[in-house]
Amino acid sequence: MNNNLKKINVYAIYLGALILILPLIAFFINAFSFRWFYPQIIPKELSLQAWVRLKLIPKPGQRSIEGFLDLWTSNPAVIKALMNSLTIGILVTIVSIIIALPAARVLGLLNFRFKKLIIFIMVSPTILPPIAFVLGLNINFISLGFSGSFFGVCLVHLVPIMPYVVLTMTGIFANYNPDFEHQARTLGANKTRTFFLITLPAIAPGMVVAALFAFLVSWSQYLLTFLIGAGKVMTLPLLVFSTASSGNPALTAAISIIFIFPAILILFFTSKFVSGESGATSGFGKI
Amino acid sequence: MSDLKIINLVKNFVGMDRPAVNNVNLKINSGELVAFLGPSGCGKTTILKMITGLFAPDNGDIVLDNKSLLPIPTENRGVVMVFQNYLLFPYMNVNENVGFALKMKGIDKNVIEKKVREMLDLVKLPDIGFRKPKQLSGGQQQRVALARALIASPRLLLLDEPLSNLDAHLRDEMRDLIVTIQKKLNVTTIFVTHDQEEAVLLADKIALIFDGELQNYTSPKNYYEQPKNIKAAKFFGGVNFIKSKKINNEFISDIGKINYVGENINDLNDEINITIRPENIKLSKTNDFDHNSFKGNIKSIIFSGTHTRYKIIINNLELECSLQSLGIKNINQGDEIFVHLPKDKIWGMND
Amino acid sequence: MGGERLKIILSLTPPLLIIITLFFGGIFYGFLQSLGYQPAIGKYDINFSAYYNVMFSERYSKLFWTGLGLNLWVSFASTFLAAVFALFGALAIRKTFFAKTVCNFIYSLNLPMPHLVVAVGMIFVFSQSGLLARFASQLGLINSPGDFPVLVRDKYGFGIILAYIWKEAAFFFIILMSVLQSLGENFEELAQSLGANRWQRFRYVILPLVMPNLFSASIIVFAFSFGAYEVPALLGVIYPQMLPVMAFEFFLNPDLNARSEGMALSIIIALIVMILVVFYFWLTQAKIRKD
Ligand SMILES: Nc1ncnc2c1ncn2[C@@H]1O[C@H](COP(=O)(O)OP(=O)(O)OP(=O)(O)O)[C@@H](O)[C@H]1O
Ligand SMILES: [Mg+2]
Repeated sequence: MNNNLKKINVYAIYLGALILILPLIAFFINAFSFRWFYPQIIPKELSLQAWVRLKLIPKPGQRSIEGFLDLWTSNPAVIKALMNSLTIGILVTIVSIIIALPAARVLGLLNFRFKKLIIFIMVSPTILPPIAFVLGLNINFISLGFSGSFFGVCLVHLVPIMPYVVLTMTGIFANYNPDFEHQARTLGANKTRTFFLITLPAIAPGMVVAALFAFLVSWSQYLLTFLIGAGKVMTLPLLVFSTASSGNPALTAAISIIFIFPAILILFFTSKFVSGESGATSGFGKI
Repeated sequence: MSDLKIINLVKNFVGMDRPAVNNVNLKINSGELVAFLGPSGCGKTTILKMITGLFAPDNGDIVLDNKSLLPIPTENRGVVMVFQNYLLFPYMNVNENVGFALKMKGIDKNVIEKKVREMLDLVKLPDIGFRKPKQLSGGQQQRVALARALIASPRLLLLDEPLSNLDAHLRDEMRDLIVTIQKKLNVTTIFVTHDQEEAVLLADKIALIFDGELQNYTSPKNYYEQPKNIKAAKFFGGVNFIKSKKINNEFISDIGKINYVGENINDLNDEINITIRPENIKLSKTNDFDHNSFKGNIKSIIFSGTHTRYKIIINNLELECSLQSLGIKNINQGDEIFVHLPKDKIWGMND
Repeated sequence: MGGERLKIILSLTPPLLIIITLFFGGIFYGFLQSLGYQPAIGKYDINFSAYYNVMFSERYSKLFWTGLGLNLWVSFASTFLAAVFALFGALAIRKTFFAKTVCNFIYSLNLPMPHLVVAVGMIFVFSQSGLLARFASQLGLINSPGDFPVLVRDKYGFGIILAYIWKEAAFFFIILMSVLQSLGENFEELAQSLGANRWQRFRYVILPLVMPNLFSASIIVFAFSFGAYEVPALLGVIYPQMLPVMAFEFFLNPDLNARSEGMALSIIIALIVMILVVFYFWLTQAKIRKD
């Protein structure tokens, strides 16, 4: 490559990166400014107003540790939604990992009849749109009394997460040599110790990545939570959606920043594991 | 004392049209080093995994010191296997790997530490205790795997192709180390290989296995001189087979009457194959042998360094003879020659 | 052998049960309702009138067919453009340069980002008072916000397409990077030594090598953008309306009769996705057989 071309290439990359983070820049300006009117590019005045209105930061003068604690323990809507999102995400992730572990092991290590069919059934929720099942399920859940309950929302979140976790963990087990376990057994380790000393450390890195992204799938779920939660289970995406629809950019931006924070954090810590091949990304279309 | 008896052992796998292990019987005496020899896929690893308890046999029994192993879970059998590719636990350092079996027994840390040092000395690898497996060469990994297997004084040591991943030079060294340690600790050992030379050099006895069936189980020397069947003889480089019929207590073949005095003479059927090693055949231009002397023609001569190989045709039967190259008189292609099969060197086989 | 079979069955049952009861059960129940079977309002007869209504009745047919057209346009355009941008990005970014890690991170940044936030971001950047309009105004390109083209909440679905490109390009990018990384540069160097120029190396070496992965990623992206709700709900207009939004509004309609139509619409969306996916597999299988 000649030098000029190389330079153009690199500048094109920088330009692309700049364009890609434009929304992020807009989020931050919106969330931390006051009366950012068209056609200003740089806001005239920085401000924490949006955060104060969301009751995440106390009014000026009360910004001590107690002030924060008082405010947060008064359980403002954002904190409530945040806690709901976190609890549902963590719960669903843990449950799906526990359920997926034996299944993924069998799918990754053994060959048997109907394996293709079973994998096909497992992946179908990642291809077919959620609207296809959730409308029918909603009616069912209403009659079962799950509608509007925390439990019902957790249950419905399992649908997009389960296939994702099973598939990525199957990929992990496909590259796993069970003879390591056999070796440990012949050296005198019983089944339980073999699992904790040999199997778990071997699959842990992949499993943690799978879990983090499974959490994100739950974290980003709007439609399923909205329908099954029936307005009674408020999560962050629901809050973002309604704030965005009501059209206050500063509030929307502030909540959005909270909403995307774990995503960026998780990408930051996993970027070296995330690759199309590991399969850990195959479920991202769903976020 | 650890005598191992394998009785009528059978194992089937889904998707295989023959049993992976078919009715295998053998007995290994305490302190013996036995080689399982056979081509890839013949079931060697499968037998080892049944002895360890990782596979359950479909039929038969495995008895160690007059007690069946089958009801005992793997971890309590005292049978340690060293796998083909060493399988050192990657996130543990060498010390932790070697000490693993003792840790599983809940033994005191200081005792483990001391014992680990002893084992590493035994395999001639002091001073690498804190390295991770990745930082070791293939030969070093193999030694660590051996030390790890031996630390808890197993009743039975199973080595699955321990040398196949090493280069030729290291292989000789490791082979010697394995024999030395095995004799020193006097641990009953089974050793899997598909290299007959390796089996001969190492083993007290060799179990030859084809397609899940035990073909022959005897000392290395016997494989050369008294093989049980043609398959076994061929695997050990046998090339001369003479079909013979027993008629009135005499053996008649295409090349004539054969004088046979082998110790198995009473066990032989009416139709047998007689074999002889190429090195044991004698040649002469004149007929100066008193028995088993046949006239033939030299078909071809191949010089291969210290030895020279002759192919000889006698009445449509081809025999191969190997003589020391030094001191050969002028024998040429097409020459008429007398071939002598000494009666104490020939061996008859039923199949 | 028997023990192994039992192990397989026991291990696979829990996740299968979840997917079969919740996912397929939901679809099945939705299908029943779309046929007019609604015990809740005392309707037990079974017919296809909801399907007919949605597709052919005077009231809905125009809405449906324009919606379907919009759906196809949005999904094809965003899948194709996201793949193209990601391909150029991945090819450009392979070589080392200053701040490569940072750029790599930024290019992957939208991968874990929720669609919802990306949609909001599009409003902030592309609306008539958004970041770009402000730049244009500062540069003197436009006089008032109304001069800036309508790019979000527009009837051509530009805003929706932009959001999907933004989001899914990162997905393509990650997949392409890992394929390119595992291939190394050997193939290209070999092709170069055989006299292939830059374009030929791209056309005859790189493209065929990344195509299988690119294709399977496209199917995921296409299927997703065809059936997703949030982005068109935030960035779309009332007419034409993308099918998932339409189905959802039918469903929420206080008139319980519209519910059947909503269900029918959601089943139609699923069917179209399924047909397209099967067609895609048939296409790739046929190509593999041909090669
Ligand atoms: N878990 C299993 N499931 C199904 N078939 C198996 C399994 N393990 C082994 N087999 C089959 O059983 C036969 C014997 O395998 P085994 O591993 O014992 O051979 P081996 O003699 O050790 O060969 P190698 O020298 O290649 O290691 C092979 O045909 C193999 O495919
Ligand atoms: Mg083997």
